[in-house]
Amino acid sequence: MVDYLYDGTFEGLLTCVYHHYYTEKASGIFPREEYQSTMLGGYREVETEEEKAVTVYEAIEKKISSFTLKRIYKVFMSSVENKENKILNYVRLGFVRGPCISMLHGDSIVVPIQEAEYKVNGEVHRMKGLVRFSQLRGGVLYSSIEPDHDIVEFLANHFSDRLKNEPFIIHDVKRSKALVAYQGKWYISHFTKENLPPLSSEEKAYQAMWKQYFENMAIKERINPRCQKNLMPVRYWKNLTEFQL
Amino acid sequence: MDGMLEKLKILADSAKYDVSCSSSGVGRKNNGKIGSGAAEGICHTWSADGRCISLLKVLFTNRCVYDCEYCVNRRSADTERASFEPEELAKLTIEFYRRNYIEGLFLSSAVEVSPDHTAERILHCLRLLRREYGFAGYIHAKIIPGVSQELLYAIGLEADRLSVNIEMPTSKSLALFAPQKKPKQIFSPMRQITNTLIERKALKGPGTMFKGQDLNSTLNYLTPGQIQLAVSSEQIKENQNMDTGPARAMVPARRGKETFAPAGQTTQMIIGAGGETDRQILTTTENLYHTFKMKRVYYSAYIPVVSSPILPDALTAPPLGREHRLYQADWLLRFYGFQANEILDDENPNLDPDLDPKVTWALRHLDQFPVEVNKAPMDHLLRIPGVGAISAQRITRQRKIAAVKYEDLKKMGVVLKRARHFLTCSGKYYGEKNFMPEAIKHQILEINDGIQISMFNNDQNLLPRAGTEGKRVALHG
Repeated sequence: MVDYLYDGTFEGLLTCVYHHYYTEKASGIFPREEYQSTMLGGYREVETEEEKAVTVYEAIEKKISSFTLKRIYKVFMSSVENKENKILNYVRLGFVRGPCISMLHGDSIVVPIQEAEYKVNGEVHRMKGLVRFSQLRGGVLYSSIEPDHDIVEFLANHFSDRLKNEPFIIHDVKRSKALVAYQGKWYISHFTKENLPPLSSEEKAYQAMWKQYFENMAIKERINPRCQKNLMPVRYWKNLTEFQL
Repeated sequence: MDGMLEKLKILADSAKYDVSCSSSGVGRKNNGKIGSGAAEGICHTWSADGRCISLLKVLFTNRCVYDCEYCVNRRSADTERASFEPEELAKLTIEFYRRNYIEGLFLSSAVEVSPDHTAERILHCLRLLRREYGFAGYIHAKIIPGVSQELLYAIGLEADRLSVNIEMPTSKSLALFAPQKKPKQIFSPMRQITNTLIERKALKGPGTMFKGQDLNSTLNYLTPGQIQLAVSSEQIKENQNMDTGPARAMVPARRGKETFAPAGQTTQMIIGAGGETDRQILTTTENLYHTFKMKRVYYSAYIPVVSSPILPDALTAPPLGREHRLYQADWLLRFYGFQANEILDDENPNLDPDLDPKVTWALRHLDQFPVEVNKAPMDHLLRIPGVGAISAQRITRQRKIAAVKYEDLKKMGVVLKRARHFLTCSGKYYGEKNFMPEAIKHQILEINDGIQISMFNNDQNLLPRAGTEGKRVALHG
């Protein structure tokens, strides 16, 4: 039994799963940078190998289900604590139980994965509404977000279809990465705010109209801030146009 | 853009009392230049009253020839008036949409000059949006009673969802509060929408109410004479599936790519202005679902925006608690297989403010409980208080491969506080030993005590949080 350390990529994690089966059983999988050595067991740094990762990838898809593969990828993109070990346990159980693993709603290995996936899906859905674009000089639409989980790529298909004729950027400020899209094509890249052009000339006017509209819509006899915060947690507010200024 | 800020203020202010917010019911890829439809609906923000903002909800104009008692825009009200130009509103919608402020447009209007005049202006604006701007996002258009069939049809071709407000739960209160609106005028566009959807084989119906039934048969055709706000269940039965003559074809059905109101129709009524009981309200709701197969009926707690001798006085707090319970009951109708006369009857004409309607129903029917979760069919599981659509699905899915244990239920999302009194797991019962309505009620309320009291003694602070039933599906319209 040994702790595996990986490089933080999905392929790296799958390589660790490979070694768990073919080299030595894993007592745990951890990202290299966050690992704190315990005196008890040894650890081994795993080098990511595409071939091994692909083997595991295909095995999961064939022997468990493509649903499971998507599910663990979403969990991998989450910020849930100890997600690597949750995934490892899930995959191990999956190879035993097969595709029906997703039906074990009360199982203590399945539940944490189900919950993590639920969180990611929930935030993706929420963000489809909470992204706010500002038009920059030159016509590009720019949006900054700070989601809990690493979800920009899950927004790509939705927005690049919807705004297929607009060049736009969805910038995850926390992770310094961005989704860049135009005419239905998109990519994810490293991104920082430097050298961003200023706002276009009419931008402020639309922001003001939106803010006014937003404030106006509340019916004063029904004011209920607790309900509002429940549905739209305060941590999202700082990137919302309606709460600026 | 001069003056738009002011116009938007006036015309949004008048529209905000419209309750319908959903942007659901139509999944569509971007088939134009900008926009798409998300079947599950997307909320874009939540205003300080906790209601979601999904669509740009505005009136086209608030200049009105009608004089409805409860309305802020009544002719006799002293309020600022404004109208959009079709071009202005289309541009504003697109600019808001590009910035992802909104999911689409909700366009309503006061009646300027005449219903047809107003409808023509609305149609003009919608066509501009769809054809000039290539807008493929969501459009909800409100139909004003009295509008001609041709115009309604044309608007339906542009919009995703149509709604005609029924305004009041009974024709009696309608006559009292909105004397210029006649039930016949309200039902006739509703009927036309339903019939057109049937012609196009596109009628879907509310929630899971008609699951497995073919709604698009000629049997569901509505004829002018048969619609009224029935109060007895016999009348409901009469109202549905009447195989009578041709209401068909005021407008010939066109096939092909164009769609007519793919997200169906909805309506809304005001709660707490007239003296209706919850039973009357629910019966009317059920009638609307059975007759017109509409997607949803919305309730709007009466807010005294105008003072009038026949309305509750201006200091009355809006009955938010009542509205909340009615929505829960509405969910029972649409997703849980309940009927209005099961939820309320002659002895219990109003919903219990302390307990949700499913619990009250269950307490009156303890002979049907406890239910064995490992054996009971889906429709019985759905009737257990504390079990919702998702948890019922999980139970039926898991028990195919492994027995459901009591410890599993919580992980599946079952609310055990309520549910434990009404179920068994592999034969074992975990609830109140004294299996009597009073004892169980006491148990449930004791747990809830703190919340219940603050919820209902102070209506202002009430969370319009739908219960286990409402919450999950709330976005789905």
